Amino acid sequence: MKKLLLAAMCALLVSWKPPIDLGKVAKAKKGAELVAGASHKINEEEEYHIGRAVAANILGQYPLWKNGELTRYLNLIGRILALRSGRPEIYGGYHFAMLDAPEANAFSAPGGIIFLTRGIVAMAADEDELAAVLAHEIQHIVVKDPLKAIRSQRLKALGTFTAGEAVGSSSGAFGVFQDSIMDISGTLLQKGYSRGQEKDADLGALKLLAAAGYDPGALLDMLKKIQAVEKKKLKAFSAHPSAAKRIAYVGGNVAAADPALRRARAARFEKFAAGR
Amino acid sequence: MKKELLFTFLLAAAALALLAGNALVVQVLRSNLSSKPDFLSASLSPLQKGDRLERIETQGSWYLVRNARGAKGYIHQSAVTASKVTLGSIAPGPKGASPDELALAAKGFDEANEKKLRNSKGYNFSDLNWVMEQEVAVPALAQFIRDGRLK
Repeated sequence: MKKLLLAAMCALLVSWKPPIDLGKVAKAKKGAELVAGASHKINEEEEYHIGRAVAANILGQYPLWKNGELTRYLNLIGRILALRSGRPEIYGGYHFAMLDAPEANAFSAPGGIIFLTRGIVAMAADEDELAAVLAHEIQHIVVKDPLKAIRSQRLKALGTFTAGEAVGSSSGAFGVFQDSIMDISGTLLQKGYSRGQEKDADLGALKLLAAAGYDPGALLDMLKKIQAVEKKKLKAFSAHPSAAKRIAYVGGNVAAADPALRRARAARFEKFAAGR
Repeated sequence: MKKELLFTFLLAAAALALLAGNALVVQVLRSNLSSKPDFLSASLSPLQKGDRLERIETQGSWYLVRNARGAKGYIHQSAVTASKVTLGSIAPGPKGASPDELALAAKGFDEANEKKLRNSKGYNFSDLNWVMEQEVAVPALAQFIRDGRLK
Protein backbone atom coordinates (compact mmCIF):
# COMPACT_ATOMS: atom_id res chain seq x y z
CA MET A 1 0.00 0.00 0.00
CA LYS A 2 2.82 2.37 0.95
CA LYS A 3 4.58 1.56 -2.35
CA LEU A 4 1.41 2.38 -4.29
CA LEU A 5 1.08 5.67 -2.46
CA LEU A 6 4.74 6.46 -3.11
CA ALA A 7 4.34 5.68 -6.83
CA ALA A 8 1.30 7.90 -7.03
CA MET A 9 3.12 10.75 -5.30
CA CYS A 10 6.11 10.39 -7.64
CA ALA A 11 3.84 10.49 -10.67
CA LEU A 12 2.17 13.59 -9.31
CA LEU A 13 5.47 15.33 -8.69
CA VAL A 14 6.68 14.52 -12.19
CA SER A 15 3.60 15.72 -14.05
CA TRP A 16 1.80 18.24 -11.86
CA LYS A 17 1.99 21.81 -12.98
CA PRO A 18 0.97 24.56 -10.58
CA PRO A 19 -2.41 26.14 -11.33
CA ILE A 20 -1.99 29.04 -13.73
CA ASP A 21 -3.31 32.52 -13.22
CA LEU A 22 -4.76 33.38 -16.63
CA GLY A 23 -4.25 37.09 -16.17
CA LYS A 24 -0.61 36.75 -15.16
CA VAL A 25 0.18 34.41 -18.06
CA ALA A 26 -1.51 36.72 -20.55
CA LYS A 27 0.42 39.73 -19.25
CA ALA A 28 3.69 37.82 -19.22
CA LYS A 29 3.01 36.52 -22.72
CA LYS A 30 2.16 39.98 -24.00
CA GLY A 31 5.36 41.37 -22.52
CA ALA A 32 7.48 38.57 -23.92
CA GLU A 33 6.00 38.91 -27.39
CA LEU A 34 6.39 42.65 -27.49
CA VAL A 35 10.06 42.13 -26.79
CA ALA A 36 10.56 39.16 -29.06
CA GLY A 37 8.12 40.29 -31.77
CA ALA A 38 6.52 36.83 -31.76
CA SER A 39 3.85 36.18 -34.37
CA HIS A 40 0.50 34.61 -33.65
CA LYS A 41 0.29 31.05 -34.93
CA ILE A 42 -3.00 30.39 -36.72
CA ASN A 43 -4.71 27.22 -35.55
CA GLU A 44 -7.12 24.91 -37.44
CA GLU A 45 -10.26 26.64 -36.18
CA GLU A 46 -8.97 30.10 -37.07
CA GLU A 47 -7.99 28.89 -40.54
CA TYR A 48 -11.60 27.71 -40.94
CA HIS A 49 -13.06 31.11 -39.98
CA ILE A 50 -10.69 33.14 -42.11
CA GLY A 51 -11.32 30.68 -44.97
CA ARG A 52 -15.07 31.18 -44.70
CA ALA A 53 -14.60 34.95 -44.83
CA VAL A 54 -12.29 34.74 -47.87
CA ALA A 55 -14.73 32.38 -49.61
CA ALA A 56 -17.64 34.75 -48.84
CA ASN A 57 -15.55 37.57 -50.28
CA ILE A 58 -14.93 35.58 -53.49
CA LEU A 59 -18.68 34.85 -53.68
CA GLY A 60 -19.27 38.59 -53.29
CA GLN A 61 -17.33 39.13 -56.50
CA TYR A 62 -18.28 36.07 -58.56
CA PRO A 63 -21.79 34.57 -58.77
CA LEU A 64 -22.11 31.01 -57.48
CA TRP A 65 -23.12 28.42 -60.10
CA LYS A 66 -25.71 26.71 -57.93
CA ASN A 67 -26.15 23.34 -59.66
CA GLY A 68 -26.57 20.56 -57.10
CA GLU A 69 -25.77 17.61 -59.41
CA LEU A 70 -22.63 19.13 -60.94
CA THR A 71 -21.43 20.36 -57.55
CA ARG A 72 -21.92 16.86 -56.13
CA TYR A 73 -19.79 15.39 -58.94
CA LEU A 74 -17.06 17.94 -58.24
CA ASN A 75 -17.22 17.12 -54.52
CA LEU A 76 -16.88 13.38 -55.16
CA ILE A 77 -13.70 13.93 -57.19
CA GLY A 78 -12.33 16.50 -54.76
CA ARG A 79 -13.02 14.43 -51.65
CA ILE A 80 -11.18 11.40 -53.09
CA LEU A 81 -8.16 13.56 -53.87
CA ALA A 82 -8.27 15.21 -50.44
CA LEU A 83 -8.37 11.81 -48.71
CA ARG A 84 -5.17 10.82 -50.52
CA SER A 85 -3.46 14.14 -49.73
CA GLY A 86 -1.09 15.03 -46.92
CA ARG A 87 -3.95 16.72 -45.08
CA PRO A 88 -7.01 14.50 -45.43
CA GLU A 89 -8.90 15.79 -42.38
CA ILE A 90 -9.39 19.50 -42.04
CA TYR A 91 -11.41 21.48 -39.47
CA GLY A 92 -14.64 22.00 -41.46
CA GLY A 93 -13.97 19.45 -44.22
CA TYR A 94 -13.18 20.13 -47.88
CA HIS A 95 -15.87 21.79 -50.02
CA PHE A 96 -15.86 22.29 -53.79
CA ALA A 97 -18.11 24.57 -55.83
CA MET A 98 -18.38 26.32 -59.19
CA LEU A 99 -18.45 30.01 -60.05
CA ASP A 100 -20.52 31.29 -62.95
CA ALA A 101 -17.66 33.14 -64.63
CA PRO A 102 -16.49 32.68 -68.24
CA GLU A 103 -12.77 33.06 -67.53
CA ALA A 104 -10.71 29.95 -66.78
CA ASN A 105 -9.63 30.04 -63.15
CA ALA A 106 -9.62 28.25 -59.79
CA PHE A 107 -9.24 29.50 -56.21
CA SER A 108 -8.52 27.80 -52.91
CA ALA A 109 -9.62 29.64 -49.76
CA PRO A 110 -8.01 28.67 -46.44
CA GLY A 111 -9.65 25.77 -44.67
CA GLY A 112 -10.38 23.80 -47.84
CA ILE A 113 -13.06 25.76 -49.73
CA ILE A 114 -12.19 25.43 -53.42
CA PHE A 115 -13.85 27.17 -56.38
CA LEU A 116 -13.61 26.39 -60.10
CA THR A 117 -14.96 28.84 -62.66
CA ARG A 118 -17.35 27.81 -65.43
CA GLY A 119 -14.55 28.61 -67.89
CA ILE A 120 -12.12 26.04 -66.48
CA VAL A 121 -14.86 23.43 -66.04
CA ALA A 122 -15.81 23.84 -69.71
CA MET A 123 -12.16 23.38 -70.70
CA ALA A 124 -11.88 19.90 -69.13
CA ALA A 125 -12.29 17.05 -71.63
CA ASP A 126 -12.65 14.31 -69.03
CA GLU A 127 -12.80 13.60 -65.29
CA ASP A 128 -9.02 13.30 -64.97
CA GLU A 129 -8.55 16.85 -66.28
CA LEU A 130 -11.06 18.19 -63.77
CA ALA A 131 -9.24 16.20 -61.08
CA ALA A 132 -5.93 17.77 -62.17
CA VAL A 133 -7.23 21.28 -61.49
CA LEU A 134 -8.66 20.22 -58.12
CA ALA A 135 -5.44 18.41 -57.14
CA HIS A 136 -3.41 21.59 -57.77
CA GLU A 137 -5.75 23.63 -55.55
CA ILE A 138 -5.81 20.98 -52.81
CA GLN A 139 -2.00 21.07 -52.70
CA HIS A 140 -2.19 24.80 -51.91
CA ILE A 141 -4.43 23.91 -48.93
CA VAL A 142 -2.17 21.07 -47.77
CA VAL A 143 0.82 23.41 -47.38
CA LYS A 144 -1.40 26.33 -46.21
CA ASP A 145 -0.33 28.66 -49.04
CA PRO A 146 -3.39 30.94 -48.64
CA LEU A 147 -2.42 31.70 -45.03
CA LYS A 148 1.10 32.61 -46.12
CA ALA A 149 -0.43 35.52 -48.03
CA ILE A 150 -1.24 37.26 -44.74
CA ARG A 151 1.29 40.01 -44.12
CA SER A 152 3.59 39.20 -41.24
CA GLN A 153 2.87 42.47 -39.42
CA ARG A 154 -0.78 41.41 -38.96
CA LEU A 155 0.23 38.25 -37.12
CA LYS A 156 2.81 40.17 -35.12
CA ALA A 157 0.07 42.63 -34.12
CA LEU A 158 -2.16 39.75 -33.03
CA GLY A 159 0.73 38.31 -31.07
CA THR A 160 0.81 41.45 -28.93
CA PHE A 161 -2.90 41.25 -28.02
CA THR A 162 -3.91 39.59 -24.80
CA ALA A 163 -6.55 36.86 -25.05
CA GLY A 164 -9.27 39.29 -23.86
CA GLU A 165 -8.32 41.96 -26.40
CA ALA A 166 -8.28 39.52 -29.28
CA VAL A 167 -11.47 37.53 -28.79
CA GLY A 168 -14.05 39.40 -30.79
CA SER A 169 -14.44 42.42 -28.53
CA SER A 170 -11.53 44.44 -29.87
CA SER A 171 -11.89 46.62 -32.92
CA GLY A 172 -8.14 46.13 -33.40
CA ALA A 173 -8.55 42.39 -33.76
CA PHE A 174 -11.47 42.86 -36.20
CA GLY A 175 -9.31 45.23 -38.24
CA VAL A 176 -6.57 42.62 -38.44
CA PHE A 177 -9.18 40.03 -39.47
CA GLN A 178 -10.45 42.25 -42.30
CA ASP A 179 -6.96 43.18 -43.47
CA SER A 180 -5.92 39.52 -43.50
CA ILE A 181 -8.91 38.64 -45.68
CA MET A 182 -7.88 41.36 -48.13
CA ASP A 183 -4.29 40.03 -48.15
CA ILE A 184 -5.50 36.56 -49.09
CA SER A 185 -8.19 37.65 -51.56
CA GLY A 186 -5.70 39.96 -53.24
CA THR A 187 -3.26 37.11 -53.68
CA LEU A 188 -5.89 34.66 -54.92
CA LEU A 189 -7.67 37.00 -57.33
CA GLN A 190 -4.91 39.32 -58.53
CA LYS A 191 -1.36 39.04 -57.30
CA GLY A 192 -0.97 35.27 -57.32
CA TYR A 193 1.35 32.96 -55.40
CA SER A 194 5.08 32.87 -55.98
CA ARG A 195 6.45 30.77 -58.84
CA GLY A 196 7.93 28.41 -56.27
CA GLN A 197 4.55 27.90 -54.59
CA GLU A 198 2.89 27.23 -57.97
CA LYS A 199 5.59 24.80 -59.02
CA ASP A 200 5.29 22.90 -55.72
CA ALA A 201 1.50 22.76 -56.13
CA ASP A 202 1.86 21.37 -59.67
CA LEU A 203 4.43 18.74 -58.66
CA GLY A 204 2.39 17.83 -55.58
CA ALA A 205 -0.71 17.52 -57.77
CA LEU A 206 1.05 14.96 -59.98
CA LYS A 207 1.68 12.74 -56.94
CA LEU A 208 -1.81 13.29 -55.61
CA LEU A 209 -3.42 12.33 -58.93
CA ALA A 210 -1.38 9.14 -59.06
CA ALA A 211 -2.21 8.29 -55.43
CA ALA A 212 -5.94 8.59 -56.16
CA GLY A 213 -5.73 6.55 -59.37
CA TYR A 214 -6.10 9.46 -61.80
CA ASP A 215 -3.75 9.97 -64.76
CA PRO A 216 -1.11 12.61 -63.80
CA GLY A 217 -0.77 13.35 -67.52
CA ALA A 218 -4.16 15.06 -67.28
CA LEU A 219 -2.45 18.06 -65.64
CA LEU A 220 -0.19 18.40 -68.65
CA ASP A 221 -3.21 18.17 -70.95
CA MET A 222 -4.96 20.96 -69.05
CA LEU A 223 -1.86 23.17 -69.09
CA LYS A 224 -1.63 22.81 -72.87
CA LYS A 225 -5.23 24.01 -73.17
CA ILE A 226 -4.51 26.95 -70.88
CA GLN A 227 -1.47 27.77 -73.02
CA ALA A 228 -3.66 27.82 -76.14
CA VAL A 229 -6.05 30.25 -74.41
CA GLU A 230 -3.14 32.44 -73.30
CA LYS A 231 -1.90 32.63 -76.90
CA LYS A 232 -5.28 34.05 -77.89
CA LYS A 233 -4.70 36.73 -75.20
CA LEU A 234 -7.82 35.59 -73.35
CA LYS A 235 -8.10 35.67 -69.56
CA ALA A 236 -6.98 32.36 -68.06
CA PHE A 237 -5.29 31.75 -64.71
CA SER A 238 -4.21 35.37 -64.69
CA ALA A 239 -2.68 35.05 -61.20
CA HIS A 240 -0.57 32.00 -62.18
CA PRO A 241 2.80 31.74 -63.96
CA SER A 242 2.57 31.23 -67.73
CA ALA A 243 1.40 27.80 -68.88
CA ALA A 244 4.55 27.42 -71.00
CA LYS A 245 6.75 27.55 -67.89
CA ARG A 246 4.50 25.12 -66.05
CA ILE A 247 4.44 22.71 -68.98
CA ALA A 248 8.24 22.64 -68.96
CA TYR A 249 8.56 21.29 -65.42
CA VAL A 250 5.35 19.26 -65.31
CA GLY A 251 6.18 17.52 -68.60
CA GLY A 252 9.44 16.22 -67.20
CA ASN A 253 7.71 14.62 -64.23
CA VAL A 254 4.77 12.81 -65.83
CA ALA A 255 4.86 9.03 -66.00
CA ALA A 256 2.82 7.17 -68.62
CA ALA A 257 -0.53 5.87 -67.37
CA ASP A 258 -2.90 3.20 -68.70
CA PRO A 259 -5.35 5.05 -71.05
CA ALA A 260 -8.00 2.39 -70.39
CA LEU A 261 -8.29 3.56 -66.79
CA ARG A 262 -9.01 7.11 -67.92
CA ARG A 263 -11.69 5.84 -70.30
CA ALA A 264 -13.35 3.95 -67.41
CA ARG A 265 -14.62 7.28 -66.13
CA ALA A 266 -15.84 8.58 -69.52
CA ALA A 267 -19.53 7.72 -69.14
CA ARG A 268 -20.09 9.58 -65.90
CA PHE A 269 -18.10 12.56 -67.15
CA GLU A 270 -20.32 12.71 -70.25
CA LYS A 271 -23.32 12.98 -67.94
CA PHE A 272 -21.61 15.81 -66.08
CA ALA A 273 -20.52 17.50 -69.32
CA ALA A 274 -24.08 17.51 -70.63
CA GLY A 275 -25.09 19.70 -67.68
CA ARG A 276 -22.27 22.21 -68.01
CA MET B 1 -11.19 11.08 5.98
CA LYS B 2 -8.61 13.63 4.85
CA LYS B 3 -6.10 10.83 4.26
CA GLU B 4 -8.61 8.92 2.13
CA LEU B 5 -9.34 12.00 0.04
CA LEU B 6 -5.65 12.65 -0.46
CA PHE B 7 -5.07 9.03 -1.43
CA THR B 8 -7.91 9.12 -4.00
CA PHE B 9 -6.54 12.32 -5.46
CA LEU B 10 -3.03 10.90 -5.68
CA LEU B 11 -4.28 7.76 -7.40
CA ALA B 12 -6.23 9.80 -9.94
CA ALA B 13 -3.15 11.95 -10.48
CA ALA B 14 -0.98 8.90 -11.05
CA ALA B 15 -3.44 7.43 -13.57
CA LEU B 16 -3.63 10.74 -15.43
CA ALA B 17 0.14 11.05 -15.46
CA LEU B 18 0.46 7.62 -17.05
CA LEU B 19 -2.18 8.45 -19.65
CA ALA B 20 -0.97 12.00 -20.39
CA GLY B 21 1.56 10.90 -23.00
CA ASN B 22 -1.15 9.10 -24.97
CA ALA B 23 -3.97 11.59 -24.58
CA LEU B 24 -5.36 13.03 -27.82
CA VAL B 25 -8.16 15.46 -28.55
CA VAL B 26 -10.19 15.75 -31.78
CA GLN B 27 -9.27 19.06 -33.46
CA VAL B 28 -11.72 18.99 -36.40
CA LEU B 29 -15.45 19.75 -36.24
CA ARG B 30 -16.50 16.19 -37.16
CA SER B 31 -14.69 12.90 -37.63
CA ASN B 32 -15.23 9.17 -37.16
CA LEU B 33 -13.85 6.32 -35.14
CA SER B 34 -13.12 3.96 -38.05
CA SER B 35 -13.09 0.17 -38.00
CA LYS B 36 -9.87 0.08 -40.08
CA PRO B 37 -7.07 2.55 -40.83
CA ASP B 38 -8.95 3.59 -43.98
CA PHE B 39 -11.31 6.54 -44.52
CA LEU B 40 -13.69 4.29 -46.45
CA SER B 41 -14.04 1.68 -43.70
CA ALA B 42 -17.15 1.44 -41.52
CA SER B 43 -17.65 4.11 -38.89
CA LEU B 44 -17.86 2.73 -35.36
CA SER B 45 -18.82 6.01 -33.76
CA PRO B 46 -19.04 9.67 -34.77
CA LEU B 47 -16.55 12.02 -33.12
CA GLN B 48 -16.64 15.76 -32.72
CA LYS B 49 -14.28 18.58 -31.83
CA GLY B 50 -12.99 18.30 -28.28
CA ASP B 51 -13.65 14.56 -27.85
CA ARG B 52 -10.83 12.99 -25.88
CA LEU B 53 -9.14 9.78 -27.01
CA GLU B 54 -6.45 7.52 -25.67
CA ARG B 55 -3.76 6.47 -28.14
CA ILE B 56 -3.05 2.74 -28.02
CA GLU B 57 -0.64 2.46 -30.96
CA THR B 58 0.44 4.16 -34.19
CA GLN B 59 0.00 2.54 -37.61
CA GLY B 60 1.52 4.70 -40.34
CA SER B 61 -0.43 7.96 -40.36
CA TRP B 62 -3.26 6.45 -38.28
CA TYR B 63 -3.74 5.97 -34.54
CA LEU B 64 -5.49 3.03 -32.91
CA VAL B 65 -7.40 4.77 -30.12
CA ARG B 66 -9.95 4.16 -27.37
CA ASN B 67 -12.78 6.64 -26.84
CA ALA B 68 -14.36 7.70 -23.53
CA ARG B 69 -16.86 4.84 -23.73
CA GLY B 70 -14.08 2.28 -24.17
CA ALA B 71 -14.66 1.61 -27.89
CA LYS B 72 -11.51 0.96 -29.90
CA GLY B 73 -11.01 2.18 -33.46
CA TYR B 74 -8.81 4.18 -35.82
CA ILE B 75 -8.45 7.90 -36.48
CA HIS B 76 -6.16 9.73 -38.90
CA GLN B 77 -3.40 11.82 -37.35
CA SER B 78 -4.60 14.97 -39.14
CA ALA B 79 -7.86 14.88 -37.12
CA VAL B 80 -6.29 14.98 -33.66
CA THR B 81 -3.77 16.88 -31.62
CA ALA B 82 -1.99 16.09 -28.37
CA SER B 83 -4.30 16.77 -25.44
CA LYS B 84 -3.66 19.92 -23.44
CA VAL B 85 -5.07 18.31 -20.29
CA THR B 86 -2.80 18.91 -17.31
CA LEU B 87 -3.07 18.04 -13.68
CA GLY B 88 -3.53 21.75 -13.09
CA SER B 89 -7.13 21.26 -14.12
CA ILE B 90 -7.81 18.84 -11.26
CA ALA B 91 -5.46 20.31 -8.68
CA PRO B 92 -6.79 22.52 -5.90
CA GLY B 93 -6.50 26.28 -6.38
CA PRO B 94 -7.54 28.72 -9.11
CA LYS B 95 -8.05 27.16 -12.53
CA GLY B 96 -6.56 28.55 -15.70
CA ALA B 97 -5.55 27.74 -19.26
CA SER B 98 -2.10 26.33 -19.91
CA PRO B 99 0.39 28.55 -21.74
CA ASP B 100 -0.02 26.24 -24.77
CA GLU B 101 -3.77 26.72 -24.68
CA LEU B 102 -3.30 30.47 -24.56
CA ALA B 103 -0.98 30.33 -27.55
CA LEU B 104 -3.56 28.30 -29.46
CA ALA B 105 -6.52 30.48 -28.50
CA ALA B 106 -8.34 32.09 -31.41
CA LYS B 107 -7.03 35.61 -31.79
CA GLY B 108 -9.32 37.61 -34.00
CA PHE B 109 -9.89 34.89 -36.61
CA ASP B 110 -13.00 33.66 -34.83
CA GLU B 111 -16.76 33.35 -35.17
CA ALA B 112 -17.40 36.65 -33.37
CA ASN B 113 -15.47 38.59 -35.99
CA GLU B 114 -16.96 36.50 -38.80
CA LYS B 115 -20.43 37.51 -37.54
CA LYS B 116 -19.44 41.19 -37.76
CA LEU B 117 -18.65 40.67 -41.45
CA ARG B 118 -21.90 38.92 -42.35
CA ASN B 119 -23.81 42.03 -43.31
CA SER B 120 -20.84 43.82 -44.87
CA LYS B 121 -20.85 44.80 -48.52
CA GLY B 122 -18.77 42.49 -50.71
CA TYR B 123 -19.39 39.32 -48.69
CA ASN B 124 -21.90 36.63 -49.65
CA PHE B 125 -22.34 34.28 -46.68
CA SER B 126 -25.72 33.10 -47.93
CA ASP B 127 -24.25 31.34 -50.97
CA LEU B 128 -21.30 30.19 -48.85
CA ASN B 129 -23.73 28.35 -46.57
CA TRP B 130 -25.11 26.49 -49.60
CA VAL B 131 -21.54 25.49 -50.55
CA MET B 132 -20.82 24.25 -47.02
CA GLU B 133 -24.02 22.17 -46.97
CA GLN B 134 -22.91 20.07 -49.96
CA GLU B 135 -21.82 16.82 -48.33
CA VAL B 136 -20.82 13.46 -49.78
CA ALA B 137 -21.53 10.32 -47.74
CA VAL B 138 -18.76 7.73 -47.38
CA PRO B 139 -20.73 4.88 -49.09
CA ALA B 140 -21.30 7.12 -52.14
CA LEU B 141 -17.61 7.95 -52.19
CA ALA B 142 -16.64 4.28 -52.02
CA GLN B 143 -19.02 3.49 -54.89
CA PHE B 144 -17.60 6.36 -56.97
CA ILE B 145 -14.08 5.00 -56.43
CA ARG B 146 -15.06 1.46 -57.44
CA ASP B 147 -17.02 2.58 -60.52
CA GLY B 148 -14.20 4.81 -61.70
CA ARG B 149 -11.44 2.26 -60.96
CA LEU B 150 -9.80 4.74 -58.62
CA LYS B 151 -7.77 4.06 -55.48
